[in-house]
Amino acid sequence: MGNRMFKKILIANRGEIAVRIMRTCQEMGIATVAVCSDADRLALHTLEADEAVPIGPAEPSKSYLDIDRIVDAARQTGAEAVHPGYGFLAENADFAERCEREGIVFIGPPAQVIRNLGDKLTARRIMQAGGVPIIPGMIDAAENSTAWAAAAERIGFPLLVKASAGGGGKGMRIVERPGDLAEACRAASREAAAAFGNGTIYLEKFLPKSRHVEFQILADGQGRTLHLLERECSIQRRHQKIIEETPSPALSPELRAEMGQATVAAARAAGYVNAGTVEFILDPTGRFYFLEVNTRLQVEHPITEMITGLDLVRHQIEIAAGRPLSLIQDEVRGRGHAIECRIYAEDPEQHFMPSPGRIAYMREPAGPGVRNDCGVYAGCEVPVEYDPILSKLVVHAETRELAIRRMVRALTSYVVLGVRTPMDFLLDVLASAPFQAGETTTDFIAAHFAEWAPDRERMELAAMAYAADAMAPRARSAGPVAAANHPGPWHTLNHWRL
Amino acid sequence: MDWKLRNKEETIVLGVEPAGDSGFIATFGDREAHVVFERLSEHRLRLIVDGRQTSAFVVETAEGKAVMVEGRTFFLADDRAPQMRSRSGTKAGPRTVTPPMPAVVTQILVAAGQTVEQGQALVVVSAMKMDTTLTAPYDGVVTRINVAEGEKVAPKQVLVDIEPGAAGASEDGADGQAS
Repeated sequence: MGNRMFKKILIANRGEIAVRIMRTCQEMGIATVAVCSDADRLALHTLEADEAVPIGPAEPSKSYLDIDRIVDAARQTGAEAVHPGYGFLAENADFAERCEREGIVFIGPPAQVIRNLGDKLTARRIMQAGGVPIIPGMIDAAENSTAWAAAAERIGFPLLVKASAGGGGKGMRIVERPGDLAEACRAASREAAAAFGNGTIYLEKFLPKSRHVEFQILADGQGRTLHLLERECSIQRRHQKIIEETPSPALSPELRAEMGQATVAAARAAGYVNAGTVEFILDPTGRFYFLEVNTRLQVEHPITEMITGLDLVRHQIEIAAGRPLSLIQDEVRGRGHAIECRIYAEDPEQHFMPSPGRIAYMREPAGPGVRNDCGVYAGCEVPVEYDPILSKLVVHAETRELAIRRMVRALTSYVVLGVRTPMDFLLDVLASAPFQAGETTTDFIAAHFAEWAPDRERMELAAMAYAADAMAPRARSAGPVAAANHPGPWHTLNHWRL
Repeated sequence: MDWKLRNKEETIVLGVEPAGDSGFIATFGDREAHVVFERLSEHRLRLIVDGRQTSAFVVETAEGKAVMVEGRTFFLADDRAPQMRSRSGTKAGPRTVTPPMPAVVTQILVAAGQTVEQGQALVVVSAMKMDTTLTAPYDGVVTRINVAEGEKVAPKQVLVDIEPGAAGASEDGADGQAS
């Protein structure tokens, strides 16, 4: 490919990430193609693109997950490359392979790398061979309870049963006692088969009170592989991340360098190309273990962009176009502290039940060091069929303490009306002593916020606002605003004639 | 004038006495606050409460008003308005089988004529990748299923009609439906 750059890219995704990718394409002078389901005809990503191709009904399997439709849309519009975003087809090796066959550049790693790293047991074997520490446990599948029991004895209890073919907590079980092992394995396998079409499970040591720290990879496929520092993603609820930050409060410069080296080793061992993320588990003693590789651009990539000043999507596109990385590891420096809060259309007072509907009004936060990657607008409909993420609110400041204050200011001024959002919950998490102290382990929410209820402090203010709203006249719906107290010339020159 | 506003199970009594064109004295119990207000747009109000300025954002919803102040959201309904009901939590036990949010029917677990017990699973609905199982609010017999799998449904829509009656009292040969 050499120096030629794409003229047109199709973004095979929706919502905030599709909008974010299009922004970089616009800056690079690359034409953008959006794909939209029937529910997204007027979605922000559809409206922002140079062209939009309808790809079917709202249901993801009939639209955003339909490889044929996506490929057809690319051919129809002449898009030379496809950016898959995150979720949907981003880590689908079949899709990457189909693109390769059709002569469309898939902006991501090669299909075989996706396939290898998508299977956790295969990934563990690759990492072990590459000298990357892995969580003690099985590296080959076993099918019967005798083999599981033998492995369990080696590993020790408590242990984790995990699905090889997928994540998100599905097919995962903690086992405390040997007596529970066989049934846990069977149940996990059934769940994995239902969720991923593959019931293969394996056993790993369970590491409680650990942190979830991930490192960003950038590899150009021409010999240069770098890491772009870490992200701490321990604030999770039901295996879903809600707050992420960088740098991690738990990493000393030495540990960072060591984990960075392991990251590069992991990427090389896997033959990685383009952007990706290596996830590690960091136990309370400071030992780290490989968890998995996410072969895509991640939701929380903006915090890395804020501290490094790099545009990851731009690098992805350039690598995919065959350009070697001109960046070297020593040039990668983090500056200051960044935090991201995911803003979902969900109700924290109703156990975070999704809250679809029409957004009646929105006011996004702004100001120095504030970035809101938003996929919706006032007047748009948040559909029921997809993940309810509205935006990612990201702040950057000189220190962690200042970043927390900046996030508090930003959340306080972020207004969304029409769907419920968890700003008040997030404010309470950020204000909490454990968060302020950086005690962000993976059981944070369960340990400190299991039974959250909003505080009533501003209830009276809300009541006054209710009354004021009823009493304040609404503006006239159409026509110019009536002149204030001083009439203009058109009112005073009554009988003027030529 | 007294306003009675409800937020979930709590009632707030707010005394309002106009003071000037765009102001009032707000009274909560024995405390008072002086409020000056101005509408900035359809959804935004400027408030000055005892000299401190703030903005409030309000939208009408089916169950009252959603008010956002300083990052906090409150749903308030006028208690005096007829037929107004507070936002029911999922446990409040509506007497009808209705989804708590707009969703898609993914599974219908019972059939017309079937005897059901209180708490028995009837219909699974899905929204934003989350499944919710709707259960029978009382013992009875399913008289009609009003929806089909794949259909989009909304709150207040009755998905399954159940004729109340003690379990086992029906004449169908329903085997004990222990759930």
